[in-house]
Amino acid sequence: MRATLNYEIRDFIMEMGGKEAYKCFQCGKCMSTCPWAQIDTVTLPVYRMPQNVKLGISVSSEDKNELAREVEEVFRCVGCEACVSQCPKGVNIPNILRAIRRILGEYGSCPEVLKPVISTLRASGNPLGQPHEKRNEWAKDLEISKFDNQMEFLYFPCCFPCYDTRTQKVAQSTAKVLKKANVLFGILGAEEWCCGEAVRKMGFEKLFTELATSNIIAFQSAGVRKIITTSPHCYNTFKKEYTELLKIPQYTGQQAGEGKDVRPRFEIYHTTQLFDMLIQEGKIIPQKQLNKKVVYHDACNLGRINGIYDEPRKIITSIPGVELIEVPNFSHEYSLCCGGGSGGLWIDWPKEERMANVRVKQAIDAGAEILAVACPYCLQMFEDSVKVMDIELEVKDISELLADALSD
Amino acid sequence: MKNVFALVEHRQDKIRDISYELLTKGQELATLYGGELTALLLGNELTKFIDSLKPYAHRIMIVEDAKLKDFNAESYQIVLSNILKQEQDFLLLMGHTASGMDLGASLSVELGASIATDCTGIEIENDNIIAIRQMYEGKLLAKVNLNIKAKSIITIREGSFPPQVSNLSAKVLDFTSPLTAEPSYRRFVEYIEAPLGEVDITKSDIIIGIGRGIKEKENLLLVEELAKTIGGIVGCSRPIVDAGWLPKDRQVGSSGKTVKPKLYIAIGISGAFQHISGMKGAETIIAINKDPNAPIFSEADYGIVDDLFKVVPILKNKLTAMKA
Amino acid sequence: MNIVVCIKRVPETSESEIKVDESGKDIIKTRLTFDINESDNYALEEAILIKEKLGGTVTAISCGSPDNDATLRMAIAKGADTAIRIDTADLGEEVQPQIDSFKIAQLLKTAISKLEFDIILTGCMAKDDGYSQVGQMVAELLGIPHAALVTEIKIDAPKARAKRELEAGLLEVLDITLPALFTIQTGINEPRYASLIAIRRAAAKEIKILKWNELGMQDTELRATIESLFPPPIGKRAEILQGTTDETATKLTNIVKEKGLI
Repeated sequence: MRATLNYEIRDFIMEMGGKEAYKCFQCGKCMSTCPWAQIDTVTLPVYRMPQNVKLGISVSSEDKNELAREVEEVFRCVGCEACVSQCPKGVNIPNILRAIRRILGEYGSCPEVLKPVISTLRASGNPLGQPHEKRNEWAKDLEISKFDNQMEFLYFPCCFPCYDTRTQKVAQSTAKVLKKANVLFGILGAEEWCCGEAVRKMGFEKLFTELATSNIIAFQSAGVRKIITTSPHCYNTFKKEYTELLKIPQYTGQQAGEGKDVRPRFEIYHTTQLFDMLIQEGKIIPQKQLNKKVVYHDACNLGRINGIYDEPRKIITSIPGVELIEVPNFSHEYSLCCGGGSGGLWIDWPKEERMANVRVKQAIDAGAEILAVACPYCLQMFEDSVKVMDIELEVKDISELLADALSD
Repeated sequence: MKNVFALVEHRQDKIRDISYELLTKGQELATLYGGELTALLLGNELTKFIDSLKPYAHRIMIVEDAKLKDFNAESYQIVLSNILKQEQDFLLLMGHTASGMDLGASLSVELGASIATDCTGIEIENDNIIAIRQMYEGKLLAKVNLNIKAKSIITIREGSFPPQVSNLSAKVLDFTSPLTAEPSYRRFVEYIEAPLGEVDITKSDIIIGIGRGIKEKENLLLVEELAKTIGGIVGCSRPIVDAGWLPKDRQVGSSGKTVKPKLYIAIGISGAFQHISGMKGAETIIAINKDPNAPIFSEADYGIVDDLFKVVPILKNKLTAMKA
Repeated sequence: MNIVVCIKRVPETSESEIKVDESGKDIIKTRLTFDINESDNYALEEAILIKEKLGGTVTAISCGSPDNDATLRMAIAKGADTAIRIDTADLGEEVQPQIDSFKIAQLLKTAISKLEFDIILTGCMAKDDGYSQVGQMVAELLGIPHAALVTEIKIDAPKARAKRELEAGLLEVLDITLPALFTIQTGINEPRYASLIAIRRAAAKEIKILKWNELGMQDTELRATIESLFPPPIGKRAEILQGTTDETATKLTNIVKEKGLI
């Protein structure tokens, strides 16, 4: 019997940011859109989670194995916000679970697999454990300048595009497109730190604040005004979470002047937004033929969370020969998460529990020859699925497709 | 004048390789000090070991006692402290093995000695005994000064000093066992083989890691034969576990085990970051892969760019020949 | 069974870059994440499992600065009844960073000898220094038997039967008389999570602080000291062996032989 009310726990979770639980009236709509519903062998009772918080019975079992299951459930959430988009009250369940994760994380009571990710991030500023000073290695043959305040844009590739050999190609393609369009941009190299988005979603608020503060200081001192991101996760956290931080003067290292607002403001662009603009303005013209059927996968942080659906599609259809096809029922706001968000990239669920595999199958069934993505996490997850499932499907970032389509 | 002692380790009627490594280093140090190297041999029916040890030491001190048949840290400690309490100035070497770990630190307390454990080097600098050892999971090396110079114990990591046979002919001495009975508070019961499936790859010195490149379950056999030849254990990257070809406890990588063997041979592994994070701490990495651009080659010390199905059988034959 | 479990808070360094500080004898710790030492976590779980089975108490004890309190609270949240921290600050700035296993063992021994105990558990190795010394030393100082690298304990008071891990898949079975100390190998059990309510309660629980000089110790002499820390020689990137399959296999065999890898 677990339904012993515990207001102490309820208030504890609320304190840590779980207040929205109050709004939930358990209609259950979230259950139908939660991506875990696509996994036959997993039942994740999302709709009960806010209720559990209200009753103060979250992660409360005295049985060791049952407790492990409860912790696992809390860390299943991939932060895709499919639940939020369908909720009549707009309850943000990922945020409620984040409050619980914060408590567990602080006491080392999170899945072991996340611990080295966190320690590596704190030590090296990236989750891959690569040396911080090698952050601009991806650009070494490309003659990309360090950002200075004469430049219009800062390009912020973040961790995987900086270090992971597969994802470096995304950053390199992006740089190629920007150069071709004569965009004035630079990079921060070793002054750039992980954006911290995943860290925050995993429940490590303090480390997120440290990383964000380092970035904000770097942006400010370099005179950055406009930022281009490869990752929708950077895009979202810069746009929404960094802005929140900037309201607190101590995090920006700047005193708020009396009566006047000295907070820095940054305009954030996802690469697909900028690429689309460049195509519209005729600054780049995709010319090379690509006679392939392409499914575009809407990344959660781009589509559902930030409403960017059209730009990526317009870029793809601007490439001559491409046939863009949609996955029936799972496109745009109903896109199925790759499973990589909120720490999912590092939590290694068994093969039959991986959303990415389901998604790849959807793309294949729709007739895709190329699965186009616009997010480094999606790229990692799908590349992995294609390998594990041993199927013929190219996974490409839009920047790669676009760079390949431009004349040499 | 300092005398050097090395504890000969044996189990189930065989001298363990570490013993010769200790004796090799021990002789070098004894020569440096102008003292003698004594091999300490405790156990039952020991005469069979004497000939193979003779060339390595100046003296072999034998403690023959049926109660010392199998290693017991408590009995060994009683014997060794009896021997070493008579010494004015000694350095004792033992293996950083399951036995040495059990025994060394508590013996050092009884003798009032300095101890450095898991060492990979020993240097004598201005009369100071400096042990070289890894710290922080091999990320750094440390020089550790043993402050009680006249009473020092160093335990040595296996494989740190390649054994070299010398031309000594040790004098054999008997030391009467001080044991009246095996200590009642700790008794050896038996040795058992760890049940299958409980193989702990993190403890293996040699690991052959396999990845998707092996293509089919049937090909596991090929790799297992190679592993057998070189006394290693087969580990793998995630796809192999996913396919159900090996149990989860063989998985090397961020979500599997982190391993630091002496030798890691990656076969058909491209080197996804998840895998690399689990094995990059290996002392020597060899990679065999068809793809010259596979990221595994930037982690490896030696690489062969070739079809594994061609290389592995030939390699197995050559290694078998080498071992013989 | 009254169980004492000794735990150490160590930096997680397996996937992080480690740098030596100005003294040349310690590392820069500012960007490191600290957590309970891995095998100590298994020792803690084993202590809780024994308590759950046979009753009694679990006391968690640690040496170090107030930062260790977080680790001790985690131990309470998982099931320890009391926690003790031996504060080493008074050892002074010179001695404290250099504190050796023997000094730690002396401190633990002095604190533990004031408690009632049947079993003492420690991890088999600290991940940071890798010494594997403290447990065995504590046992010797207390005059009780010990076994290192233990992978199974079956209590049948006043004795216990333990398995300890030897090389190459071999296990040693031994009988030991309690009170005894075991150094616990990883994998002996499955460490648990802490529930939210346990975390909440642990936060309010008092940790008993013992100052090292209150333990009646004055001697600050160290038996082993770190002279210097330095990175191992590097030079990575695979040397690709050239030639036919037969030639490359021969070359590799020679390397394996010369380097004594097998």
